[in-house]
Amino acid sequence: MADSARPALELRGITKKFGSVVANDRVDFDVYPGEVHALLGENGAGKSTLMSVLYGLYRPTDGEIMVDGQQVEIDSPARAIALGIGMVHQHFMLVPVMTVAENLVLGNEPTQAGGVLDLDAARTRVNELSARYGLAVDPDATIEDVTVGTQQRVEILRALYRGARILVTAQEVEDLMAVLGRLKEDGTGIVFISHKLGEVLLVADRITVLRRGKKIDTVRRAGATEQSLARLVVGRDVLLSVEKTPGHPDRASEPMLDVEDLHVRDDRDLEAVNGASLSVMGGEIVAIAGVDGNGQQELVEAITGLRTPTEGRITVAGEDVTGKGVNAATDAGVAHIPEDRQRRGLVLPFTLAENLALREYRRPYFSKGGWWRVRHIRERAFKLLGEYDVRGGDCDTFASALSGGNQQKVAIAREISCDPKLLVAHQPTRGLDVGAIEFVHRRLIEERDKGRGILLVSLEYDEVRALADRILVIYEGAIVGEFAPDASEEELGIAMTGGQKAPEATPA
Amino acid sequence: MSTLEEEEQERDEVAGANEGAAAALTTPARLGAYMRRGTVTVPILTTLIAFIAGGFVVLLTGHNPFSTYKAIFNGTGLQWLFPWVTGSARSTAAFNLQQTLLATTPLILVGLAVAFAFRAGLFNIGGQGQYTVGGIAAVWIGSSFSSMPAFPHIVLAIAGAALAGAAWAGIAGALKATLGVNEVISTIMLNWIAIWGGVWLFGLGGPLQDPHQSSVPTSSPVAASAKLPVFWGNASLQGLDIGLFIALGAAVVFWVLLNRTRFGFEVRAVGLNPDAASYAGISVARSYFRVMAICGAFAGIAAAMDILGWKFSLFTNDIQFSTVGFIGIAVALLGRNSAVGVVFAALLFGALETGTSDRYLDPSVFDPNLASNLTWMIQGLIVLLVSTDVIALKVLSSGRGIRVLFKGRAKREEASA
Amino acid sequence: MSVGTLAISPPRTASPKLIGIAGLVLSVVAWVITLPPFLVRTPVPSILIGVAAMSAGAYAFVNDERRIGFGAFALGTLAIAGAIGNTNSGVGHLKVVFTWSILVAAMLRYATPLLWAALGGIICERSGVINIALEGMMLMGAYFGIWGADVFGSWVIGVLIAIVAGGLLALVHAIFSIHLRANQVVSGTGINFLALGITGYFFIAHYGDNGTPSGISQVPNVKIPGIQHVGFFGNAIGDANLLTWIAILLVPALSFFLFRTRWGLRLRAVGEKPRAADTVGLSVIRTRYLAVVASGMLAALGGAYLSVAFVGSFNQNMTEGRGFIALAAVIFGKWRPAGALMATLLFGFASALADRLPTFSQSLGTLFQALPYLLTLVAVAGIVGRSRPPASIGIPYVKE
Repeated sequence: MADSARPALELRGITKKFGSVVANDRVDFDVYPGEVHALLGENGAGKSTLMSVLYGLYRPTDGEIMVDGQQVEIDSPARAIALGIGMVHQHFMLVPVMTVAENLVLGNEPTQAGGVLDLDAARTRVNELSARYGLAVDPDATIEDVTVGTQQRVEILRALYRGARILVTAQEVEDLMAVLGRLKEDGTGIVFISHKLGEVLLVADRITVLRRGKKIDTVRRAGATEQSLARLVVGRDVLLSVEKTPGHPDRASEPMLDVEDLHVRDDRDLEAVNGASLSVMGGEIVAIAGVDGNGQQELVEAITGLRTPTEGRITVAGEDVTGKGVNAATDAGVAHIPEDRQRRGLVLPFTLAENLALREYRRPYFSKGGWWRVRHIRERAFKLLGEYDVRGGDCDTFASALSGGNQQKVAIAREISCDPKLLVAHQPTRGLDVGAIEFVHRRLIEERDKGRGILLVSLEYDEVRALADRILVIYEGAIVGEFAPDASEEELGIAMTGGQKAPEATPA
Repeated sequence: MSTLEEEEQERDEVAGANEGAAAALTTPARLGAYMRRGTVTVPILTTLIAFIAGGFVVLLTGHNPFSTYKAIFNGTGLQWLFPWVTGSARSTAAFNLQQTLLATTPLILVGLAVAFAFRAGLFNIGGQGQYTVGGIAAVWIGSSFSSMPAFPHIVLAIAGAALAGAAWAGIAGALKATLGVNEVISTIMLNWIAIWGGVWLFGLGGPLQDPHQSSVPTSSPVAASAKLPVFWGNASLQGLDIGLFIALGAAVVFWVLLNRTRFGFEVRAVGLNPDAASYAGISVARSYFRVMAICGAFAGIAAAMDILGWKFSLFTNDIQFSTVGFIGIAVALLGRNSAVGVVFAALLFGALETGTSDRYLDPSVFDPNLASNLTWMIQGLIVLLVSTDVIALKVLSSGRGIRVLFKGRAKREEASA
Repeated sequence: MSVGTLAISPPRTASPKLIGIAGLVLSVVAWVITLPPFLVRTPVPSILIGVAAMSAGAYAFVNDERRIGFGAFALGTLAIAGAIGNTNSGVGHLKVVFTWSILVAAMLRYATPLLWAALGGIICERSGVINIALEGMMLMGAYFGIWGADVFGSWVIGVLIAIVAGGLLALVHAIFSIHLRANQVVSGTGINFLALGITGYFFIAHYGDNGTPSGISQVPNVKIPGIQHVGFFGNAIGDANLLTWIAILLVPALSFFLFRTRWGLRLRAVGEKPRAADTVGLSVIRTRYLAVVASGMLAALGGAYLSVAFVGSFNQNMTEGRGFIALAAVIFGKWRPAGALMATLLFGFASALADRLPTFSQSLGTLFQALPYLLTLVAVAGIVGRSRPPASIGIPYVKE
């Protein structure tokens, strides 16, 4: 681990205000060549603002940035790149329809005379970098056809192609590990952004904690524990997992959900669900764990009626709802808390009352004979908003005015209030802060104990282990294993990456 | 999923930026958000700015904008509303006002036809074609069945026009629902098909040309029993007929449909967030079809009002050079796609139409041909200004909802702080 | 530790799609056999072939190839109607109308303005900005082109002024769509109204009731020596306009630019994923501005062709919806120059046909004016298939 006298990058007293809101409050941060310095904090603590300032997407209200000891002004990503700062995003920042090579060289293309693209040179460069850093990629593969893991690799390579000497990344840890050794040898300084304590402890040399825009402390890796970090992040001692009593699944009656040999195609007409079978009894929480992109989305869509399967059967409390559409699923007792609450769960420009009516609006209580019963809708909304302690507005407030946590409460309130037999929760705590997560988890367990069947789809290990009575691992569209909630991360990880079966030759 | 990505995504989503989440915040959504604020300032400001810009153009070509606008105003008849205007000036104004209101009637209806589509997230540029088809139906029914008593004859003609317009728009709706064809292209094409179809029908040698006027490319005239009764002014001198009330009634129907029916709820949900709507079990495709059909019906009725109210027959020239459907777009946009807004916007444009027509505008002050082009420019500017939210944003600086839409980051920090 | 890709099942057999395409081809055959030089005089074979085409279309439609299926079905119907019409007309009439060489020449004339506008539309939309305002930009070019040619006595200056006028109008569209983040379809519509008003206003103000004078300098035709009088080719392409040739040559040039140069790569990146382009330091805003203005200039050239090269005068709303047909050509051609060329030739052919028909029936001639629009509708609905516009099209880019 190279350790020069002077930091490669230094942020001094960086303040960033948006109107009256202070996103960063006199933050100091520095990175030495060859070290990994993690930036840790909850959502909203100011991590991404700080990094956007560093990358030229925002101008700081106050403070200085020094690169190699020289003060600099970073007013655009181009400037940041020129200074050797490389930002590594995930697949968001790659052009899906273009190839790896095209994405890599974009903006800095090797050309022949007259601006003609020299794709051969680009390919060579890709292979060179790929070999040097041990990140295998196919230069001619199209981004949208390639796995998420490969896309992450391309992102890293792209920053390296541009000669980044300071790498800012919010990557998942696995991929970073592969490349870390090499990068440190090269003397590249690495800023690793996360809100996950475990990840940070794995890779960082130093850890800086941000809370509400302020830097709380910078500690060395040696001696730091999850507990000590959590205390810094939240400001108090935190219970790292919610108390959960074991469920009492009702094995006597028929299952709330029974999925038999389901095959579902995705939007690009590829088979996303490939013979999945599972069942959920009343009174239990079944979690589907897996790496994103293994068919979870399509499975949920099939169960909730949004997508018609090509083969197989879906039964809800004895009623066959295969391919019959959302309304049939709702009538059979399915409720759905969708993954993306702002886009699929709520209509943001609707009032809370209108949003709360979305699931059941066809019932005579809300719209008898086609007539819209405004009074009933508002009464119901008023009741639910109180019951679920939704803050930030009343019946007539627009959903867009609420915070993420409160919006999710509204979505949950709506779904649970129709007394479902099966509740499908897809990433219910995505983007929520600790308090909101606690609420959601508590509520799900409550509903389970009322006898409902709950199907939880989540990408978070901790959530799955905390909530599930049974864990089903999905891989390449099929359920490849069932585990108890006390299964080790390793076991789950192996199953999630197909380790249980002998890997076939799969196209990269 | 990394934190950075999560945060960025949230910021993007709320700020209505790219990455597809913006698709959820469609123009109807944004318009809808501040429409509900109920302010009338924005449309007024927009209009004012457009008129001022128009005035500059007038100045550029060597005319006096003030006297021009005054002359236009004099032609509208709106001064009849001022109690101090008396005598012969008053009776002229009365007559002019009747004409203005006659022009306003179809504009209300076509405005509703466009507005209803907007509320569903659709862009109905096909108002002109739907209007044309409705007119063909109205004039054909109106000129046939001359032995029918008045009331059923009128009802039949209006119903026929509505059905024809609905069917025409329904084609675009069905194409969108089943094949995903963009309604902008399909309705524009249908416009021209309708226009040329109409010109053929009533042209020389065409199948519906008036058999008694073989050298004139026109339809048969509407029978007396199908003419709408006049309630103000002189029937033989083109007084104001009850079509105005039908149009206003349609505006009421529009409001009730959208705000007091289950169907309206579905339409609004689809318009504001088609993804969430489909997640709630609403069939987006079916909604699109029904909405387009209803829009076509409104436009068809607009044509019926004109035909049965004062045109009484259809010349091929009328078909080719009519622009009602396009003005309807400006009406809907200026009126913020609301019933009340559409009525007032229609009045504005109706007044403009009368005030600039060559029958009422004094050519020595301003050439009517120039004036009608001036109107197009003003309309263009209004549509342009409405297409952004700039003015709206500046005026409506209050309201957490708006700020969240456009300054998501600040909101997010505030909320989680 | 790599995660394997999803199990990709073998692609479905292509047969419904092939059958649909076969249906399209059969429709064309059904119609063409009743025309010179084949001149089958009974509609029976056409009806049979047409029905086969419709069945093929129906089969494709039911087997999830909805668009091609619809296209084949619709075209089959039209083909039968056309064939019946043809067989009921005199051979002499048919020969007059379907003089292929004249038709081809007319097709080129009608396609040229569409092609110019479509090429502009491709550039604009590839950068992520919807351009509904091609119509207005064409109109500006049409008026200011001929005004310039008249006032300065030279078609060159006229064309140059047209380019400037179109560019300026496009700049307005750019400001509203990019900077002010307007809904681009609405702002485009506003631009069209504005163009209508501006051109009409200045036309009347300057030329009054008499319209443009005759004898204004026109863009010359390119007479190709040698083949000019040689039969088919002579009539067809021997005397085409300069602007036509330039447009055709622009097709491969634009293709090359888009797909083989670095600026084309950047343009496409901005249209597909502006965020990605931004993070590598490209200026999304500047790229889009340039693209929109370029589209205005090209569309204006199309309009200038109409007035300065083709007709020799101007009348209000001269473009009559051509800008929208050009937009349909962009979509039909899947945002590729070669595709747009095919599309504009097809639409040009329909217009050419509509033009020749009045020699045969005045009344029907009017009806056939609707043919290009009908064909456009069928094309966009039926045959376009799952064509993908640039992914970020119509979504204003927000950079804080």
